Amino acid sequence: MTTATNSASGSYLYGVTSPSPSASAVAPGIDQSLADRLAEIVGARRVLYRPSELVSYTADALPSYRKEPGLAVFPGTRDELVAIVRELADRHIPFVPRGAGTGLSGGALAEGVVLIGLNRLSRIVSVDPENCLAVVEPGVVNVALSRAVAAHGLHYAPDPSSQAACTIGGNVAENAGGPHCLKYGVTTNHIVALTVVLPDGEVVKLGSPAGEHEGYDLVGAFVGSEGCFGIALDITVRLSRNPEAVRTLLADFMSLDSAARAVSAIVATGIISAALEMIDQATIRAVESSIYAAGYPTDAAAALLIEVDGATAGIERDVATIEALCMSNGARTVRIARDEADRVRLWQGRKKAFGAMGRVSSHLVVQDAVVPRTKLPDVLAELHRIGQENRVRICNVFHAGDGNLHPNIAYDAADADETARVHVAMGQIMRACVSAGGTITGEHGVGLDKLAYMDLIFSPDSLATMCALREVFDPERRSNPGKVVPLHACKEWHMAPHTRHAAR
Amino acid sequence: MTAIAHAGTGAAAEPRPTSNATAAMRERVADAIQRGVGLRIIGAGTWLGAGRPVHASESLTTSDDAGITEYVPGDLTLTARAGTSLGEIRDATTAHGQWLALDPFGSDEGTLGATVATGSAGPLRTFFGSPRDLLLGVEFVTGAGVVARGGGRVVKNVAGFDLSRLFAGSWGTLGVITEVTLRLHARPEADESIAIAIDAATGPGRVRELLRRLPFVPYACEIANEPLARLIGCGDTVTALFRMGGNAEAVRAQRAALAELGSAREVNASVWQHLRAAEPEEAIVFRLSRLPIEIDATWADAAAIAASCSGTLVHAAPSRGVVRCIIPAEPTTDTTLAAAFGATSNATRIGERLPAELWELCSKTPVADRLSAGIKKTFDPHSILNYGILGEIV
Repeated sequence: MTTATNSASGSYLYGVTSPSPSASAVAPGIDQSLADRLAEIVGARRVLYRPSELVSYTADALPSYRKEPGLAVFPGTRDELVAIVRELADRHIPFVPRGAGTGLSGGALAEGVVLIGLNRLSRIVSVDPENCLAVVEPGVVNVALSRAVAAHGLHYAPDPSSQAACTIGGNVAENAGGPHCLKYGVTTNHIVALTVVLPDGEVVKLGSPAGEHEGYDLVGAFVGSEGCFGIALDITVRLSRNPEAVRTLLADFMSLDSAARAVSAIVATGIISAALEMIDQATIRAVESSIYAAGYPTDAAAALLIEVDGATAGIERDVATIEALCMSNGARTVRIARDEADRVRLWQGRKKAFGAMGRVSSHLVVQDAVVPRTKLPDVLAELHRIGQENRVRICNVFHAGDGNLHPNIAYDAADADETARVHVAMGQIMRACVSAGGTITGEHGVGLDKLAYMDLIFSPDSLATMCALREVFDPERRSNPGKVVPLHACKEWHMAPHTRHAAR
Repeated sequence: MTAIAHAGTGAAAEPRPTSNATAAMRERVADAIQRGVGLRIIGAGTWLGAGRPVHASESLTTSDDAGITEYVPGDLTLTARAGTSLGEIRDATTAHGQWLALDPFGSDEGTLGATVATGSAGPLRTFFGSPRDLLLGVEFVTGAGVVARGGGRVVKNVAGFDLSRLFAGSWGTLGVITEVTLRLHARPEADESIAIAIDAATGPGRVRELLRRLPFVPYACEIANEPLARLIGCGDTVTALFRMGGNAEAVRAQRAALAELGSAREVNASVWQHLRAAEPEEAIVFRLSRLPIEIDATWADAAAIAASCSGTLVHAAPSRGVVRCIIPAEPTTDTTLAAAFGATSNATRIGERLPAELWELCSKTPVADRLSAGIKKTFDPHSILNYGILGEIV
């Protein structure tokens, strides 16, 4: 960013006395002329460039990465967004789309490039209760959609723990999950169509809201592309019926192992729990000493938070079956939420667990990995060993029903030695999960944080194939540059061995 | 667990080595590239001739590359080679009280690879979704002769761009699928089916409306027209068939709720096999689809086609808004059918097995858009894989 001028069109920059401290990192082309042009599109107030203004946009919910955008712009309408993307395309300037910034992989960080904030595009365009569809703009907050359709007896099923703040656009980019995706599926199972502005400014429609769709599953490819394929202008989601009845159980165990065995036993019955969450002792204690105290027994080694929902008829049978399986696998007690208030309180402890951990230490790093369900006991034991070896305390609060672990470590970032040990432990955790047949992220995305682990699970050819797919949507790789697939993996595609001596 | 600490130390190491069978498939594709030969990819061969005309001088069969690679019942996931038949998977999972909840039309002789490649699903789609919803990972050989994988073997995974979903329903035009990992389900305590006679004109709409209101989703709901109901042993009227799963008490309640439509008769589970197997060889098959709320209109379109082509079998999934027409191939039907088919132009028409002139009447080439064409060119740069089956322009 250059220093201020007081030209007629750029008067909003008046008063700037020094260039941005990160001027050296700002991408080429992000200059006064761009700021002026973007201000013409969205108004001067919606273009930020001062370091003091940009500081809110230098991180997401993962504190270990900070990157300062060169400029941030906040369109208020779809037309403004398209105009911005086209302007950036004309100038070949990279950009990063950002929703609410609640991501946990550094995916929405912009290093010296343009950050496009989508939180003002928060209109619910239409609700079609009979066909169970809604069309929303990308900045609609997840829980706001469920509230808006509640009167029709419907809700939007994916419910990431950040649902009070995160946006549907961000959920689409990350293919977000949540506790209830065990039964209802993740974001990709609930998106039927998208209107997308491609990085070159072209607006395309993907999928079809009406019935079936033939051809490549471009919606499936776009969902979870972490902002690398373009920006959704509107999103057609499938709405789910609110269950007639919900039952929430809390079972506490004297060992992690018995809790993990109970999980397997429940899954094997054919009862599809709406949620099946495990909370270990360290997390229970952090929650119980915080304002989110949920009445979890603090002397238990682990607790399972189990929810079943659906029709009233038959639900008590499922509750009884689950209760019996918990007891026969070593549960000490099983408590069933008495009423809605009790149920909300039990969930509050789970959903705010990471917030409660914040009381323990200044920093918290949350990992996200998935292992086959049957490997949970072994992997949990291995995580314990990794914690001891590195003298860090690994806490576990996670989606046990689908093997989606969220090991987290509270630490003091000012302590360089402890920070280093945390990083070593995190790497070991990732490798342990991959060795068990798992994956490096179940719902948080790759972003920046998991780039280094992509080689653990994908061959160079698989990574190059992903790069090649991205280049169909974004040949210049300008949309969310440097995320998801490590750059070194993207170079070889055009020289793939068989294409060189191809017959035609 | 001792191996864990050493795993993944070599960052460039191939995460999972390419199997001999996959390497052999890669060589076959590489050979075709070198010779400039177009390939028609074949599983069990049951769908040959079903799609649009394919520009291929040779066929590449995957059915000899069969077998379950990994099945740990407690994980409720299964990995198998693409040529594995659905029947083999059914037998292996049934032994553990589980199933792959996919019942595409046709028989269980079909291969897993073809089921995924064609995105085929049957009545169970109402509750369990289509292959895209059950697919966890896929390995394939691209038309450039490159072996790649998307997804993985666990039930939740957002690592990397979603190549798995891209391959579901891509009809073999992007790569030869060599291995697939899918989500399984545990069999429920009760799995029962009922049949209810409904009104021929307004019945489908009533069923949709009831399902929208009820606090459960049945495993399957298909409405059969008279000839189809007769064929599968459900009497002589338009019939709504429901399949309900869960604990015995829940299923009893579902049955009672559905009885609002009329008196319900218990039917044997084999009715679903009969429905899947209803289409005669060489039949013309296509689906019509609109929003669910328009199901009566879509059903009426199909009824009009049935009226002009005798023996037409029709069934509908009202909560999805989809109606499927099966027309016995007679030399005389083509022209009458073309007229009837043409009258359905405001519905999405998806061909399964059509004569050439109807393919042209069908929905526009589904991969003509810039992104789809770009994806095809990227994955199959020499245009050798099932070229033409999705109406690609030569």
